[in-house]
Amino acid sequence: MNSPATVALPCVAGIGLRAPHYQEVLDTLPKLGWVEAHSENFFGGGAPLNTLLKAREHYAVSLHGVGMGLASPDQLSATHLDALKHLCDVVQPASVSEHLCWNTVGGKVFNDLLPFPHTFAALDHVVSRVAHVQEVLGRQLLVENLSSYLSFTSSEMSEGEFLAELVQRTGCGILFDVENLYVNVRNLGVDADEFIRAIPAHAVGEYHLAGFSVRDGCLVDTHDHPVHDDVWTLYEKVLHHIGPRPTLIEWDGDIPALSVLMAEANKAQQRMEACDECFA
Amino acid sequence: MNALHDELSVFAGNILGAAQPTPLFDASTHYTTDIGIEVYRNNYRGNLQDALAGAYPIIEQLVGAEFFRRLARDFISLHGSFSANLFDYGAELSDFLMGYAPAHSLPYLSDMARLEWACHRAYFAVDAAPLELVRFTQVAPEEYANLLLHVHPACHIVASAFPIVEIWQAHQPVGTFEIDLARGGEIALVIRQDDVVTVRELTEDEAHWMNGIMQGQRLGEATDATLNRHPAFDLQNTLLLLASLGVWTDFTLGELS
Repeated sequence: MNSPATVALPCVAGIGLRAPHYQEVLDTLPKLGWVEAHSENFFGGGAPLNTLLKAREHYAVSLHGVGMGLASPDQLSATHLDALKHLCDVVQPASVSEHLCWNTVGGKVFNDLLPFPHTFAALDHVVSRVAHVQEVLGRQLLVENLSSYLSFTSSEMSEGEFLAELVQRTGCGILFDVENLYVNVRNLGVDADEFIRAIPAHAVGEYHLAGFSVRDGCLVDTHDHPVHDDVWTLYEKVLHHIGPRPTLIEWDGDIPALSVLMAEANKAQQRMEACDECFA
Repeated sequence: MNALHDELSVFAGNILGAAQPTPLFDASTHYTTDIGIEVYRNNYRGNLQDALAGAYPIIEQLVGAEFFRRLARDFISLHGSFSANLFDYGAELSDFLMGYAPAHSLPYLSDMARLEWACHRAYFAVDAAPLELVRFTQVAPEEYANLLLHVHPACHIVASAFPIVEIWQAHQPVGTFEIDLARGGEIALVIRQDDVVTVRELTEDEAHWMNGIMQGQRLGEATDATLNRHPAFDLQNTLLLLASLGVWTDFTLGELS
């Protein structure tokens, strides 16, 4: 079960494909390493799906889910999983990922990425759900580490240890969001080195980079700023320890011109190429 | 699992309710636990508010951004989310607006919300290829009455005592802004053609017949019912008009009665 991440994305920098850029991307076909789209935005048919399928003709696509709620105590939504399965069948993405978080309890849904206690019981629960999702999709899932604003006193292991166990027991891969780790370091005092050491490097299939904002001293993962200098520094460290992987620039609020996103992606690309030498 | 359920239920209550002592969380952060909860509370409301604004752009234009924020806040406090897909959120806005006192001076708002929700659902509806007209020629005339027409998943009908089609058109990029509210009601047909959602007016007899078809009546049954109410109803023209709009995706033959 402990296989390397099987991501078919090219090992270069890509960008998040968001609605304000759909037309420009399809009209001008800029040189993008690959694109990532939020799975739920393409459930159903019509214009959204057809836009993604057109993009798919020119770029490798990663489908990134925000709604599966892998750690939710409620039963996994079969409707949601079926919709994702259908989307994967149509789009044939190079990668499929979800977050290590919960979003539903007692029938109430929180359309957010919420943290949970990293207990052994929660691990058993998430293991069975990741295994089920992978079985239904017939492919490996990348699971992304979360940015958090609170941590639970009942946790019995670190997030890095939790992910390592999850990989060991399900064969899933890891989507390592470097900015999320940085947010947790600043907010919760998480030890970045411990996280990097804890997760199995071979299972890391993708990196995410994004900008945050600050509210009352709390770093909030808003994806509405350029990547912070400290996050670039942490990314370089991660590259050095784990090696280059397909890297995504995420930008979801106050979305800038496509050229700004591409310039950010280029910064990641340069760091990956500089690091290639240390892994050559 | 039960411990996880219990702890997350408390956390859920923190997000939905007022600030309260929460021993669940590590208090050693350099900001208070209440600030962390407030971030989640803001995310919760903000995401639902964005979802409403995305589904109801005309309502937002009609009432203005500031009033819409207040309206959204009031709606969200009464209506939680039941789907992990944000595009499913906000179906009850039309019903909510019927009883929403601050918006009573805009009596058409509730019907416009119903129309916008139909357009929103149409935009995300699953794909289905339109029926090729030639297939009708393969049906023996004596079978016509038993046809069960399959309607495109993006197709909806919304009836109103107000000119909602005109109001909708006025808020499209090439719209005009001279609407006589007293001109009476309109029935809107929402359809999606080449991935574009459009709204057009149906006459009363067309809508009566179409509602029958959408309820699963066979062609003969629906037509008889409509002719009873609207003797001038023109079946052939209506059938072909709706076909040209991509309303039909298929047909099957119902059991002979």
